Amino acid sequence: MSENKQAKPGMSRRKFLTYTIASTAGFLGSGMLFPMVRFAIDPLLQKGSDTKFVDIGTVSEFGSKPKAVEFRIQRKDGWYQEKGGEKATAWVLKEGSEILALSPICKHLGCTVKWEGGGRTNVFYCPCHGGEYTKDGVNVPGTPPPKPLDVYATKIEGGRLLLGAVKERG
Amino acid sequence: MAHHHDNDKEINYVGDSRVIEKKEKMVPKDYSEFPGKTEAFFPNFLLKEWMVAVVVLVGFMALVMTEEPPIGEQADPTNTGFLPVPDWYFLFLYELLKFKWASGPFVVIGTAIVPMLAFGALFLVPWLDTGKERRPMKRPITTGIMFLALIGTVALTWVAWDEHEKQLASLPKGEAEAKIVDQRDPAYDIYKNNACVNCHGQNLEGLQGPPLRGVGDYYKPKEIMKIMDEGKGNMPAGMFQGTALEKKQLADWLSKQKTGRKITEEQ
Amino acid sequence: MLKNAYEWLDKRLDITPMWRDIADHEVPEHVNPAHHFSAFIYCFGGLTFFIVVIQILSGMFLALYYVPDIQNAWKSVDYLQNEIAFGQIVRGMHHWGASVSIVMLFLHTLRVFFTGSYKHPREFNWVIGMSIFFVMLGLGFTGYLLPWDNKAYFATKVGIQIAASVPYVGGAIATFLQGGEIVGAQTLARFFALHVFFLPAVLLGLLGAHFVLIRRQGISGPL
Repeated sequence: MSENKQAKPGMSRRKFLTYTIASTAGFLGSGMLFPMVRFAIDPLLQKGSDTKFVDIGTVSEFGSKPKAVEFRIQRKDGWYQEKGGEKATAWVLKEGSEILALSPICKHLGCTVKWEGGGRTNVFYCPCHGGEYTKDGVNVPGTPPPKPLDVYATKIEGGRLLLGAVKERG
Repeated sequence: MAHHHDNDKEINYVGDSRVIEKKEKMVPKDYSEFPGKTEAFFPNFLLKEWMVAVVVLVGFMALVMTEEPPIGEQADPTNTGFLPVPDWYFLFLYELLKFKWASGPFVVIGTAIVPMLAFGALFLVPWLDTGKERRPMKRPITTGIMFLALIGTVALTWVAWDEHEKQLASLPKGEAEAKIVDQRDPAYDIYKNNACVNCHGQNLEGLQGPPLRGVGDYYKPKEIMKIMDEGKGNMPAGMFQGTALEKKQLADWLSKQKTGRKITEEQ
Repeated sequence: MLKNAYEWLDKRLDITPMWRDIADHEVPEHVNPAHHFSAFIYCFGGLTFFIVVIQILSGMFLALYYVPDIQNAWKSVDYLQNEIAFGQIVRGMHHWGASVSIVMLFLHTLRVFFTGSYKHPREFNWVIGMSIFFVMLGLGFTGYLLPWDNKAYFATKVGIQIAASVPYVGGAIATFLQGGEIVGAQTLARFFALHVFFLPAVLLGLLGAHFVLIRRQGISGPL
């Protein structure tokens, strides 16, 4: 090592070495950790998987009274895929030619709503905290839910009704 | 403390804790204060050490980025055609067990006695080599034994690796789960009456040698006869002892051993 | 700002002496490759530790996705390697790091051996070092099974059979390692526990003791 040249203006040798060490440590740390952290946060950066449309029956089955339909959606959870698909439910109704498929998940705390449940008439009722929604899925003011129920994308092909991805409404 | 109260050196604590209150600030010593042939751990030594670490990390990441970590097919306990191989640093031990004097009835020598002696000696080195001399050239016995052990280990590892490569080269081609085609053919008896059966198994399932079921996907009769004559991989030359006619019959029959599946690249 | 925060803490916790003790201790010149290039042989111990740090970190991150179960182990490894960003790199670091750490450890052991550094008064640290070597081999053996591919399965079967042929205690060792009659679900769970909890804990303890002894006794003098 060359002798320390004293009284150099600016940074002392020791300070310089300390900064060099800090940057070396930074390089070592980030070199090791960058791939690992990116690996760990990968789920945050994944786009949601595309939901395929599922056939749930003929259009004529549905009327203006909401009807609960059970169906199965194919979704892959990492390396795991449930045989036959995951269970899902929708409240489906038809007003004129308009079809509405509502998700039964209450927007308050995620319980399941029921049409005319708990003795209420003409509303969807959530048993957990008494949340109510009108027939078109809009939350009744003065009950806990802050938002209308989510809706499924719908499609009619050859007289059959198909449900797609769940979308949130404003 | 109370017994030895020294008025000149009164100790003050921070509050009622046991942490001693400092009067002067800790000023880092300058490395130049260290006399002679030493240097401070921080920052001088650490910096150099970390520079070496940087070089190693860059090399290591280059290796990681170029070489994909291997992953085979999911484990299948019924797979009979698979060649087990331990990680490379266990190969020497694996090879040791292939020696005649370290296998069969003497397996204890290979699995317990030799490793125990070697590793026991390694553990106890400080008490086996108690002289004051540290230079390796000045303690020839210790150095010599270590060198012999090293050469032995490297040689065993190398032999094991080489053998594994050879076995891999002579591996299946044929698939163990394929069926035997044309079992009634007299060629099957020719097969069973010859040395073939000892390595490739009663039902062509493969023992030390690879299975021969499905071998027709890969070889024509001529090529099979050539392998019978010249050997392949671990298979010695001239294993087939029958007549030329029998050889022809057997080769024809073996070439009929097709799986009907497309040839897939063996990994 | 930072300085005031440090002093505030230091006044209460007295942390300065702890790191000053490490920072200011003197290191002999003969181990520094910047002075004599041949001194690079003294780097292998530190590099082994560096690779061990990489192993611990990459292992922790792999555990975010890995499942130690015979139905899912292989699938989860395949998934994390092929479908997660940088999965191949992180698994690669752990896979190749295992080999590199053994190489470094081996070179470090040879350096200590040929410089006679295990001699009085450092006998005990040699024994600790050898124990570290064996724990690392154990980590290699248990980790080899975890991807649950054919290579892992059959190599472990052979390894356990080798253990089983040790006289008197062999059978017991084999059953302990297998956790049952066969290499299967219970073996995988066991090897996972050994690989991520038991052996690393032992390793960290031994490493701590190794380093404390090095600080106590200093690095052996020049030849």
